[in-house]
Amino acid sequence: MSDPQMPVTIVMIEDDEGHARLIEKNIRRAGISNEIRHFTDGTSAMDYLYNDKDGPALNGPALILLDLNLPDMSGTDILNKIKASPLKRTPVVVLTTTDDKVEIQRCYDLGCNVYITKPVNYEAFAVAIRQLGLFLSVIQIPSADEAG
Amino acid sequence: MEITERLFNRLMVGVVALGFLALLTAGVMAGWTVARNRDYTALVNHTYEVQEQITDLRLAMERAETARRGYLLDVDPRFYDTYRDAAGRLSATVERIGVLTADNPRQQRRVAQARVLIARFISLLDDSVGLVRADRLELARENFENDQSVGTVRDLRQLTLQMNNEESGLLQIRDHGQQDTGRQLIVVLLISGVIMLAVAIISLWVILRYTRDLNLSRRELGALNGNLEATVQERTADFRRANEEIQRFAYIVSHDLRSPLVNVMGFTAELDAAAKPLSELVDRVEQSAPELMTQEARDAVRTELPEAVGFIRSSTQKMDRLINAILRLSREGRRVISPERLDMETLLNGVHDTLRHQASSKGAEIDIKAPIPDLVSDRVAIEQVFSNLVENSVKYLAKDRPGLITVRGSVTGDRVVYEVQDNGRGIDPKDHDRIFDLFRRSGAQDQPGEGIGLAHVRALIHRLGGLITCESMLGQGATFRISLPKTLNPERGASL
Repeated sequence: MSDPQMPVTIVMIEDDEGHARLIEKNIRRAGISNEIRHFTDGTSAMDYLYNDKDGPALNGPALILLDLNLPDMSGTDILNKIKASPLKRTPVVVLTTTDDKVEIQRCYDLGCNVYITKPVNYEAFAVAIRQLGLFLSVIQIPSADEAG
Repeated sequence: MEITERLFNRLMVGVVALGFLALLTAGVMAGWTVARNRDYTALVNHTYEVQEQITDLRLAMERAETARRGYLLDVDPRFYDTYRDAAGRLSATVERIGVLTADNPRQQRRVAQARVLIARFISLLDDSVGLVRADRLELARENFENDQSVGTVRDLRQLTLQMNNEESGLLQIRDHGQQDTGRQLIVVLLISGVIMLAVAIISLWVILRYTRDLNLSRRELGALNGNLEATVQERTADFRRANEEIQRFAYIVSHDLRSPLVNVMGFTAELDAAAKPLSELVDRVEQSAPELMTQEARDAVRTELPEAVGFIRSSTQKMDRLINAILRLSREGRRVISPERLDMETLLNGVHDTLRHQASSKGAEIDIKAPIPDLVSDRVAIEQVFSNLVENSVKYLAKDRPGLITVRGSVTGDRVVYEVQDNGRGIDPKDHDRIFDLFRRSGAQDQPGEGIGLAHVRALIHRLGGLITCESMLGQGATFRISLPKTLNPERGASL
């Protein structure tokens, strides 16, 4: 998010409003001020990613925060689609409650960049999100052109 | 008709016995017929001999008569010799016939008559010939005209004819007998043949039928066997699916329960954080403008808000622990059981080492009574079972005596029985079943814990194909007895 010309949009796909709010708060607390677009289901998120004029496919780099448990489709399906599309270089951070070994392996196999388990303990959760925020502030995101 | 094995055996024995009986009858009959034939041949030969002798007798008689006449006509000594020879033959032949027909009283009577007639005949002829030899030829010729020799000869002829007829009759009777025997033999052989043919056909039919039944039942058995295996596999698969379903359900539920819990805890933290500036505001207001301060606002910020947050916190933490317990049990259920040979003394000493500090701090002693029988089972599960049980014993000591925890084991058949015994506070017998249920505890709730230890232990023991029982009285210590298969069959273990 080092490129002031092309602000990186954070696309958050998370069905739990509370979680989304807590994640956003803690990312803000880490000093990240990028725009955060929140979607509670996979369909509208995919629509934004590929068809919206402000979406990453048509405009600007993005970083995706992805929950695996969604009402309309599985997070791994979304991950699979993203990584098999022109958006394949867009970093995807899987942020979910599942710490199943097989699930983690599958996500990395599908090309997820970071896998984070949501700690149940709120303090740990807040710390994890803040650390993710700090992490986001230093990583280099490929630009839209490169992504194309 | 369904041929049972019993019926088949009986039928076969009966049929074969009948066959052999027929064969035996035929054989005996044939033997008997051969013997009868031999006897008959001998008898026929005998009859022919007798008839021959009778013919000889008649010939001799005729020759004697002819010789005498010749002698009377022409006194030639050759006629006399011939006469003497024939007369001798006559006597000899009649004796011979007498011997041959000794078994026939009718013939014997005739022979006796013949003897008398022959004696008379010979004496008549002797007289006649004697007169010729004494040169009284005229007298002899005269006597010849009227002596009784002609009548005697006729009688003798008659007699020999009767004798011959008698023998012929006998021959005919014997011939009939012979023919009857032959016919009997043929009939018996025919019947035997028919019986044997029937036996062969019945045997063949029965064997074919039985073989077909046998093949049919073998195929049915094979199909049934296949079905049975399929059924068992189906059931096992169903069972496993149900088990997996439960595990998955527990896993999903616990995860889905965690999700809102994160919110509750998170926003409680936010609330707590939000309470801080409020509290500061109340402090400031109290200092700078006490007239604005109300008791309700002070209480709300200083007491009620922190209290509410505190209760929400402790409750969510408890819920979190419970969810984690379910999650752990569900994970435990999903874990793959891998049996290996376990050196139980080493394993139990390891358990002892991890609990040594805890035990010594409470003044309890752990005694592992060697020898402990080894077994083939899952290491992690067995370790968890024993550390849970021993830890429980260490936790629930009696306050009035130093703790002593004893672990021992023995082999019973193909199972191993382990005991974890303590002298602790004991468990009320009415709680013996309850303590193995999830989240259920017994006695004074003075120890930390969620009530999952024994539930976990029982789930593990069941998965390992074992049983666990509790023996205890309140205040008198407790004994947990575990019975496990000496060698764990992973198929069977996993299905439990």
